[in-house]
Amino acid sequence: MAQNPQATAAVPDLSVRLGPLRLKNPVMTASGTFGYGEEFADFLDLGCLGAVVVKGISLLPRPGNPPPRIVETPAGMINAIGLENVGVEVFLASRLPGLRERGVPVIVNIFGNTVEEYAELASRLDGAAGIEALEINISCPNVKQGGMIFGTDPAMAAKVVEAVRLSTGLPLITKLTPNVTRIGEIARAVVDAGSDILSCINTVAAMAVDIFSRRPKLANVMGGLSGPAIRPVALRCTYEVVRSVNVPVIGIGGITGAADALEFLLVGARAVQVGTANFINPATAVEILEGIERFLQVQGLAGIEEFIGTLDTGCLFPFAEESCEWIDLKQP
Amino acid sequence: MGKMQEDARIIRNEEVARMTWLMRLHSPGIAARARPGQFGMVRVREGIDPLLRRPLSFHRIHSGKGEIELLYRVAGKGTWWLSRCQPDSLVNITGPLGNGFTMPDNPSAAIALVAGGIGIAPLFELMVRISESRSKIKAEKMHLFYGARSADELLPAAVFESTDVSVHWSTDDGSFGFSGYVTELLEEWTARAGFRPTELFACGPLAMQHNVARWALARDIPVQLSLESLMACGIGACLGCALPAVHPGGSSAEHYVHVCKDGPIFSAGSIQWRKIRKQQLPSPIFPCD
Repeated sequence: MAQNPQATAAVPDLSVRLGPLRLKNPVMTASGTFGYGEEFADFLDLGCLGAVVVKGISLLPRPGNPPPRIVETPAGMINAIGLENVGVEVFLASRLPGLRERGVPVIVNIFGNTVEEYAELASRLDGAAGIEALEINISCPNVKQGGMIFGTDPAMAAKVVEAVRLSTGLPLITKLTPNVTRIGEIARAVVDAGSDILSCINTVAAMAVDIFSRRPKLANVMGGLSGPAIRPVALRCTYEVVRSVNVPVIGIGGITGAADALEFLLVGARAVQVGTANFINPATAVEILEGIERFLQVQGLAGIEEFIGTLDTGCLFPFAEESCEWIDLKQP
Repeated sequence: MGKMQEDARIIRNEEVARMTWLMRLHSPGIAARARPGQFGMVRVREGIDPLLRRPLSFHRIHSGKGEIELLYRVAGKGTWWLSRCQPDSLVNITGPLGNGFTMPDNPSAAIALVAGGIGIAPLFELMVRISESRSKIKAEKMHLFYGARSADELLPAAVFESTDVSVHWSTDDGSFGFSGYVTELLEEWTARAGFRPTELFACGPLAMQHNVARWALARDIPVQLSLESLMACGIGACLGCALPAVHPGGSSAEHYVHVCKDGPIFSAGSIQWRKIRKQQLPSPIFPCD
């Protein structure tokens, strides 16, 4: 199996730097798929993870959407949970302390329905001990703008990030939605507004119906698709975002194994988040970590930095200029 | 002991009634931990389609032998794949999950159970445990009201012989026992016999459970319902298996419980039955699926 037996001796360095954020490894769990961490403690050692991104938090508790909230689709699932959460006060009082004791860096995902809500949430979390960074979910409707999704408009997305930036000194990650025409534009706007890091993608807008009852399968009618079905879309988005901005990017979307995670790192993501796969195998994140380590050993690489962003998009015959021209001729 | 993930070896997997399969598994970790009314999340197949595990309640728990039994109805893609699994192959299970039944405090209680179709699955282990706890006292037999759409979907009477239960059968089409719904049989028989259970347990289709809940609430009989839902994780992370529930503070505010973590066993009064939507009901399987 090992191509280079000498190289397997050393333990590869998995640590990564994402702007102001330093992580012992690039594998995190995605918001909304890992609860508040505690739910998974029986299945894996939380302390092994690069970070845990907790379920999205709002200022006030939210009951969530009426059921059915999920439906399985080919190699994926659609959810319309409705951002059910305990609210920031309960989170700080009874969820965060337990998770901190597990020795894992905590990233708090936040969302609101107005710019002011985002800002207030950020300032409440700013003072709390044991939070490494905030991840801003901008895939929410702006109630003051007729319910338009913040993350689909560069100006509106930037306003949220600006307001959060003014409210906290914590590293800021902005989580991008793929449901836009030019994701790079949104990426540039939120980086200009002060986002230190970007993560992509959130779920893909989707729908499922039942031909017998002639009803939508979700009470909310539409929802967000996740799972392996979206991985190629997520990979393309990550690649585009990496090329559009000069800040670190976290790749998310349908990662179920080490090879999937490495795809995102290859196109330039500096870390990944594991989402839906946590539901199917609660130990996925740790297995991915072990898989990445083995891959680096087999490849004879000293650390993950030697692999990140090394995608080779050059011509097939790099030493023959004629071949490159031949390929160029095919371009319009 | 907490939850765990285990590769269980299939000992037996066979059709025991129409579309109803019994799978016996060597799963020592989960067998040692499981209680009646809890469930496991079963990965029916490697790969990504079907993607999600299937929640299946424990039909029997043989902790001494390190074995469990799952009784399941082939109702879609996931359970169809499960029915294709051969003895000696492995299926990955996470569990035990959920709260499980609360055993009756009073061993000589007058106990009735209502099972609709595959709803017999979690009730069986409960009946066995109650029978064991009552073996040394003199109590009236438990009454099981057991219905299905048709006779061929019922488990054979012989399987109940080892338990301290008298079975009252019903079929929707009248092919065996009482002709009609099992809840109609419950109502009719208890009225005729003058039997008033002090503890009631039920599992079956949502509409049946709703009728049991109404019947019990009207008579002030405590009832434990084993409810089901589509679910992705089974451990309270995805929040996909929500059911509308009565707000614990007594307010009229919107409130949901989660079948995997708060259940699957619920009291009749805790669910907001009126708010359950039509989509919650299962749909027929597409003939070509």
